[in-house]
Amino acid sequence: MKNIRQLPILLLCCTALAGLLSCGGHGQLEKAVRMALVEGDTTRATYDSLCSMITANPDRYADMLTAEGKVDHKKLAQFIQDVGSRLRPPMLWDTRPYGGLMDLSLTIYFERSGSMVPYDQRSGGGQLKKAVNDVINHFPAGSKVDINIVNDGIYPYRHSVDEFLQDRDIYQSTAGMGDAAYTDFQLIFNKILEAQQPGNVSVLVSDLIYSPKDTHGVSLDKIFNEENSLATRVFARYKGKSVVVQQFMGDYSGMYYPYNNEPFSYTGKRPFYLVIIADTDVMDQLATDKRYSGVLDPQGMRNSYRFNQATSQVNCRVLAEWKDNVGRFRVKYGDKIVLDKCQGDRETGKLCFSMAVDLSSLMKDNAMLTDAANYDVQSLDGYTLTIQPIDASMVTAHNKEDLAGMTHILTLLGDLKSHSDDVHISLRNELPAWVSQSSATSDTSSGASFATTTLGLEQLLGGMFDAMKGGSSFFEVTVSVQQ
Amino acid sequence: MKHLVYLICGIVVTVIFFILSCSSGFNIYDQLFFDQALTNKMYNLNMFPTIAAITIAVAWGGAAIYYYAINSVKFDRWYHWLAVMGVVAVLAPVACFIYNDAVFEGYVGAKVQFEMQTILFAALLYVVASFSMRWWSTNCRHTPIPQ
Repeated sequence: MKNIRQLPILLLCCTALAGLLSCGGHGQLEKAVRMALVEGDTTRATYDSLCSMITANPDRYADMLTAEGKVDHKKLAQFIQDVGSRLRPPMLWDTRPYGGLMDLSLTIYFERSGSMVPYDQRSGGGQLKKAVNDVINHFPAGSKVDINIVNDGIYPYRHSVDEFLQDRDIYQSTAGMGDAAYTDFQLIFNKILEAQQPGNVSVLVSDLIYSPKDTHGVSLDKIFNEENSLATRVFARYKGKSVVVQQFMGDYSGMYYPYNNEPFSYTGKRPFYLVIIADTDVMDQLATDKRYSGVLDPQGMRNSYRFNQATSQVNCRVLAEWKDNVGRFRVKYGDKIVLDKCQGDRETGKLCFSMAVDLSSLMKDNAMLTDAANYDVQSLDGYTLTIQPIDASMVTAHNKEDLAGMTHILTLLGDLKSHSDDVHISLRNELPAWVSQSSATSDTSSGASFATTTLGLEQLLGGMFDAMKGGSSFFEVTVSVQQ
Repeated sequence: MKHLVYLICGIVVTVIFFILSCSSGFNIYDQLFFDQALTNKMYNLNMFPTIAAITIAVAWGGAAIYYYAINSVKFDRWYHWLAVMGVVAVLAPVACFIYNDAVFEGYVGAKVQFEMQTILFAALLYVVASFSMRWWSTNCRHTPIPQ
């Protein structure tokens, strides 16, 4: 102990040891991930540089490599998520579009029932054909595309995809295929789901009017109930599938066949639908993979809904300074967001705080996201929610870092009474209002809402909803408010 | 033996201080001063451990210089020791501020307030370091309090 001059070296060793223990073995990689998140440099180039860092040091990052020596993208994504969750505020980086993605194949199922033919008349706007062509074109060149015609069964389209795209009268060129008199959804959905291979996206183009055989004299309620339960039964059998229903409007000119078998001529607008069916992970990829952008957000789409959407994690930052803030608080991030040392407004005793959130990954339209009635807010002190989209006028030099990458502001106002209160905010997962608004209980005449409604749509989609509800909410955030 | 216990205790306290500067839950740098924007940014850039290391180096370095480099009977009074503490308490926040400003610009007011706590930490660590290493100083082992 006489040579006390070694003391500083001893201390430095202790410090280095403590640093090593606290930072773990992936220091360099963690630093790179941290910098990417903090500086908002969450791009494909950055992700690629992380991958090359791993492959350049295979011994050090052996746990991030597969047996073949390639980067294990799932493990890297988990690592990035772990680093992001420790930041203040926690940050998310969706790296799914960058690595380990499948090339998807597309199968189109074109319904060829009697009431579909008038959608593709030469005199009409051709919206139906355009919607289908768009789906095909949103898949990158070289993707495997199959086209089938469906009615009482599934029949392959006999020509090439290019011929299909140029076909001006698809119903004429497919005349005589199957029995166009009725549409059996049970058979169609079963066949589609049975035939689906991994990495396949199936798209059914249909008016979604259920018209089974022998409905003469059968009450409409009975048909609706049958439709509802068959939809539930079919989809409940295939777990892990996700379905997106997209509604479009098309020009219709020709005979319409209502459920009472008394056809009438109609010229005007009518809704039609694309039903996109895929495994849940394939649907997630469709939503995030830029190669397929446009498939879930096509031109001309009026409404859409995704079945079997899990509860998502969304990026969320409490805004320390915001025009609506009332009272005082201090933000702490950990497993959940904590506002501690809260003080209500001196005069009113109320506390108001705002959070910037990124809801883009939910793939929901703005009208739905900004309607506070779609949200549940649970708290002891009765917090109320208002939500507004972020626009350029809100961004200032001071808050631009907090608002970067965010889409909406959630503002919560409540009386600060309880010593400790958990404010739980969730966006309910329920069938959207457009489904019931687009659903008709009778289609025997071309009345007022005939142009915008589909017979029994609510029952069909309701049945699918019962089978594939997914998460009870699209996203959830809990903020603990402590005095 | 008693002196060795002092040394070990000093090292343990210093290491605990460093570990507390790394932790995400209870972080020592959140306790005395908190500015949402600045503190979160420094935390995200993993700056607290470096700030802590600078503080430890200045405090232990200052004590080591006093007891082993200065190490003179001319400077063995308590106020000499206190003067070195003053130097440490100025040097540590200045060094931390320079480092902080080199990593990112702006937030000058908040940064200055943040560095105020470095004064306290540096002074405390200087006391800890002094009581850890003074025993083997040939001329100053009785400073600041003869034992």
